[in-house]
Amino acid sequence: MARSKAASKKQQKQQQKRGVDFKKIKRKLGRKLPPPKNATNTEVKSKAIVLPEQSVASEKAGLAVSKKGLTLKELLQQTSHHNSKVRRDALMGLKDLFQKYPAELRSHRYAVIEKLRERIGDDDKVVRETLYQLLKTVVFPGCKEDNQGPFVSLMVAYIFNAMTHLAVDVRLMAFKFFDLVVQYYPPSFSLYADKVLQNYEDILRKNQFYLEDKAKLRSALAGLVRCLSLLPCNKRKVDSSEENMAGQKILHAFELDMPAESSGFSSITKKLKDLVPVLVNCFQDFFPSVHHMPLLDAQSFDCMHSILQSIDLVVGFFGYGIHQGKPASQLSYEGPDEAIWDHTISSLLLKKLFGVFPLNPTNHLSEKVDDRFFILNIVITEIFLRCSEWICPPGFLLEKFLQYIENALLGSVRPAVTHGPVKQFGRNIYFFCCLLFQSLCCKWQVIGSLVFFSNCGANHNNGILQAFTKIFEGCNPQSSLKLACLSAIEEMLIPGDDMVYPDASDPLFEYQITWIRALPQLLILLGDKHPSSSQVVLHLLLRLGQCANSSSPFSREYENMQYSLDKFYSSCVDRGDVYYGPFIRLSWDSQELAICGLYYFSNLGPFLLKSIAFCCLCSELEHLVLFRIIEVLHSAFSAGHIQIADYISFFMTLLSRFKVLPENIYPDVESDAKISNRGTFKLLTNTVCSCLSRIGDDSLVFQILEQVIFDQLLLKPPLDNACALLRVLVVLDCKPTRLSEQGIITLSKYLSGYLFEVVHCIPEDDEENSLPTHQQTCCYYMLPCFFLFDRSPKLLKLVLNLMGSLITESSSSPSSHSYTQYGNDNSNQINAVVSALLLMHKDTKVRKIISSFKEEVVHILQIIHSLQVKFLVTGNPENGLAVITYTYDLSGRSQVTSFSLSG
Amino acid sequence: MELLIASSSVADAGIGCWDLESGAEQLRYKSCASPPHGLACVGQRFLASSQLREQPSASSGSILYWSWSKPQVEVKSLPAEPIKPIAANSHGTYIAGGGQSGDIYMWEVASGRLLKKWHAHYRAVTCLVFSQDGSFLISGSEDGCVRIWSLLTVFEECESQRASHLYLHSFTGHTLRITDIVIGYGGVSATIVSASEDRTCKVWSLLKGRLLRNIVFPSVIDAIALDPAEHVFYAGSRDGSIYIAALNAESPSTSSYGMHIIGSLSDHSKAVTCLAYSTGDLLISGSEDGMVRVWDPITHNIVRMFRLAKGPVNNILVVRRPLYLNLGSFSNPHTSSRRHGSQLPPPLDKYVTSADEDVDNKGVIRLPSLYNAPRDASYISHRTIDNHLKELQQQGSSAATEMEVERLKHECNRTLQMVQQWKKMYENLHEFCVNELLDGDQVDGSKRNAV
Repeated sequence: MARSKAASKKQQKQQQKRGVDFKKIKRKLGRKLPPPKNATNTEVKSKAIVLPEQSVASEKAGLAVSKKGLTLKELLQQTSHHNSKVRRDALMGLKDLFQKYPAELRSHRYAVIEKLRERIGDDDKVVRETLYQLLKTVVFPGCKEDNQGPFVSLMVAYIFNAMTHLAVDVRLMAFKFFDLVVQYYPPSFSLYADKVLQNYEDILRKNQFYLEDKAKLRSALAGLVRCLSLLPCNKRKVDSSEENMAGQKILHAFELDMPAESSGFSSITKKLKDLVPVLVNCFQDFFPSVHHMPLLDAQSFDCMHSILQSIDLVVGFFGYGIHQGKPASQLSYEGPDEAIWDHTISSLLLKKLFGVFPLNPTNHLSEKVDDRFFILNIVITEIFLRCSEWICPPGFLLEKFLQYIENALLGSVRPAVTHGPVKQFGRNIYFFCCLLFQSLCCKWQVIGSLVFFSNCGANHNNGILQAFTKIFEGCNPQSSLKLACLSAIEEMLIPGDDMVYPDASDPLFEYQITWIRALPQLLILLGDKHPSSSQVVLHLLLRLGQCANSSSPFSREYENMQYSLDKFYSSCVDRGDVYYGPFIRLSWDSQELAICGLYYFSNLGPFLLKSIAFCCLCSELEHLVLFRIIEVLHSAFSAGHIQIADYISFFMTLLSRFKVLPENIYPDVESDAKISNRGTFKLLTNTVCSCLSRIGDDSLVFQILEQVIFDQLLLKPPLDNACALLRVLVVLDCKPTRLSEQGIITLSKYLSGYLFEVVHCIPEDDEENSLPTHQQTCCYYMLPCFFLFDRSPKLLKLVLNLMGSLITESSSSPSSHSYTQYGNDNSNQINAVVSALLLMHKDTKVRKIISSFKEEVVHILQIIHSLQVKFLVTGNPENGLAVITYTYDLSGRSQVTSFSLSG
Repeated sequence: MELLIASSSVADAGIGCWDLESGAEQLRYKSCASPPHGLACVGQRFLASSQLREQPSASSGSILYWSWSKPQVEVKSLPAEPIKPIAANSHGTYIAGGGQSGDIYMWEVASGRLLKKWHAHYRAVTCLVFSQDGSFLISGSEDGCVRIWSLLTVFEECESQRASHLYLHSFTGHTLRITDIVIGYGGVSATIVSASEDRTCKVWSLLKGRLLRNIVFPSVIDAIALDPAEHVFYAGSRDGSIYIAALNAESPSTSSYGMHIIGSLSDHSKAVTCLAYSTGDLLISGSEDGMVRVWDPITHNIVRMFRLAKGPVNNILVVRRPLYLNLGSFSNPHTSSRRHGSQLPPPLDKYVTSADEDVDNKGVIRLPSLYNAPRDASYISHRTIDNHLKELQQQGSSAATEMEVERLKHECNRTLQMVQQWKKMYENLHEFCVNELLDGDQVDGSKRNAV
């Protein structure tokens, strides 16, 4: 029994598997007879091998197929199959196919879209949804690079068709499709704006189904918001996008999209005007749900939010049109204000929208609901502020809104601002303040319709500003709220087109001063961790500087800022211990902004200059930035913003304090910028020299500098710095020298020591195989001396005398001389003198001058000669020998020259 | 026949004037210490230059005029505040000057009247340029702002009141002082190039009012000159070389100087302070060392060098030699000056005069016999046209009153006719109504009677 049952089950299974072809027909009822024992089993067992593509396998060999083995052509055919499941499967198959073979889509996109667009108005919900997914995930991203104009135009006709479909579902879905199109090809909105807006108007008018299908409506409204956000409503935004565009592209390129975009928006004003009442009515329809339901559910909230946003955008567009109309009014003399803004809309908004403000939850249930109401109220406020410029709202309404803004800023409406939609909040703060400032500006000009602000709004303005300042000061420096506050401040600080400054009596002025004072602190607080925020602050500071001329009330504040900005650059903590501010580690852009800001201080004092100088001396600072600072300071100086004494001492500080690394001079290493910054220092010296020579009257500058440089030299700076200082002296000097008598004496004392040092510091190889680089290095250090000798022979005479006496002194009292630390040893001393003389000899020009001081040279030689004898006598043969060889060399040559001259 | 004119900030150098073809030095005009952009040739009739103040205590700088034939200053005007940049439109009808406070002054040359003064920038104006057709004025300022003024808007009262701002465009892309501005050909759709101390040059579109290109240079650019075909522009930098920057083509990014910079001309040891381009395809540069160098821009070689002064050369102009100015007049200036007499317009006014004092006979200038300038005739025709207008208005008004009377008579007749018509209609109506009422009464009466 059991066996047979199992068998029959098996059979059934088999039957099911085999399908209808092999079905056995039961003819008899009852039990089966057992087969006879000798019966042969005649059953033939067979198994079907399912090969779905069997029949057309050969054709499909090289073709792209979907998982189910269907080609593109078959799939496209199936999309118009009468069975909805087949259609859906076909769409799935297409998605599958395109994901596997993206090339297939690219080559056949027009054919594909021509077929797919028929499904936009499909009756079946699932099919439409699948199509949406297909378009969204595969088709549009795949065709993004290509010219989308014709591609989109193929679809749009069907979308509009579906928008007027009888079934509401199809219609709502069509808006979703259009949203998708706009997402990938934004110009399509301006091309078809007329029709789309008409359709939106129609569907929103038929409000019987809103409340049933809020989810669909929500997505459709989201699409509307996206479309309307493409309207130009904020001039600043348009500008900034253009700024980004400028750059790499060809200058006089033919611009494809221009006509479409510019002509598109002017014609739809009327349509938008029709749309506003519909939107407002629609918003009203949601009212009962707000009031009756205990909770404002997410969907109706989204719908309401979208509606309000749409109204906001439309109103913004009107405002933009009015502002734009001004320059255009040169052409047409009828007022653009009346053309765009008519009173039906304003009265409608007044009655239906602003009348119900603020929306309040019936019972305070959860914070989430409170948040939602808050957002809605904020958007309404935004709309109100946007259009308060054109409509004259009655006083009580204004009072109500200003009260709300004030409360919102103070956080009393919603106590928890920190969590929740902070971004939204920040944006709105920015917005409030922009508009507030506009109205305040208008107050100064006293333009007819806006006098009310000064009448009834003054006390609230004050409160709002106070609240704003509180928020600005209170929020975290890194937060996006701070950024929003900053951009609002920029709007309120920088006078607009009319270039009207607030006067000191205005309440705003007081707050402006507070904000300005907070900026440097903020900059220092931000440090180098938040480069983008720092950049915003620096940009604001720069803008402030640009318009803070002497007539501006901010000029004094800007001037005072230099006392608080020093920490941004560097500050001296203790003697010699320097704390570097964030400036050094900021990005190049920010540094540039900061440096440019320096130019606008009308009197850049020594305090800030000192701090900048320390910054410049920091080894971490890019040398490009260093030169940029010098360049800008020079510009500031020539514009009369820096005192000459401060300017010169800035350069002197740079030259005397710059730490050249490594201290030893290896000619080979010098070319390697990574190891040594000597190259930078040489460039710096050149730059400083050229700046100083550009100051003007060289002789005057020289007089100022002479004593300063001597003072610095007597402090015995490292060789490089001394050389730089001497070079400055040389650049400003002329022939014959401008040095004073006293100066020559001082300098001669220093120079004799300097020459020793040069000779000592530059490691000398053997005379024979000395490299050309070595000679160049020597030359670099000796050259300023040579120039000085050339200009003042007296100086050379004094130096030679000193060198002579130095040897005698050191020989009489070894290691007692204070001049040079290298000259402890007698022989070293002599060595140095000799090599210095030799170096001078190598230069032809100096040789000529030296030859006129034969006596002095001969005197030195005599001293050395006597020393030789002394050494030999005292029994210090090694030293003696060394001296002899050198002396021989020198005396030989010099005697030859002197002989030749005398002969 | 072009003249090269150069001035320096050093007062004893004066204004040098050379024949560009022969290289012969012409007259040197004395005692001129001009700031950058402070030299203008007014309609090829004479030279004008603003002056640097000798001492900062001096109350104001002056604007001086030189006639072509005399080396001495002929006319001196003292504006209300120190003017640095000046510019004249190509016909020489207006001179615009930029003040230290950011104001722009606009004078009519022929009368010396200050037509308009307006607040243009936050900080001192650093350069001023007229567009080729004279319809736009472009100003650059110390605050890094470049503004474009349409003279039409500036001068029309109602326009300037209606708009929130006077300017057509305001470009705020630069962060530091504007050093030079040039404008190309093409009227409204011209290209503007501005240079600034922030080491950049920016290319703007006048038509669209937006930035087209930003070029960063290795050093501060103090002067720019536009190639006549506008393929490239030349930028004279403080490091002494003149960079060539592309204006149209996509330049390879491999350039050693930076993006869009094609090459450089270099010989200057010192900073280039001014540049000019002559129609003879020569680039002329002035340098801080007081030399004026003439370059062949194709071969990058120096063709000529002139020595102006010890101090920096500040301005270079290339002007067509005025027709009446033959070489003879240079050789003996005394005779020519006698011949011309004092032919320069009166000095520029200090303040804006009110419109009532408009009728100013100064405007009708003494025409010198020698130069054939139809554009000067326009000053006379202005007066004449005024007279004509007056006459026409007077005549026209009498004729118009006649016509008006005629029209009114006609109207009167027509109205009378209408009144008649209306009366008739009223009577008809009245009659009809009365009849109706009477009939009704009769019916009522008969009914009542029946009852």
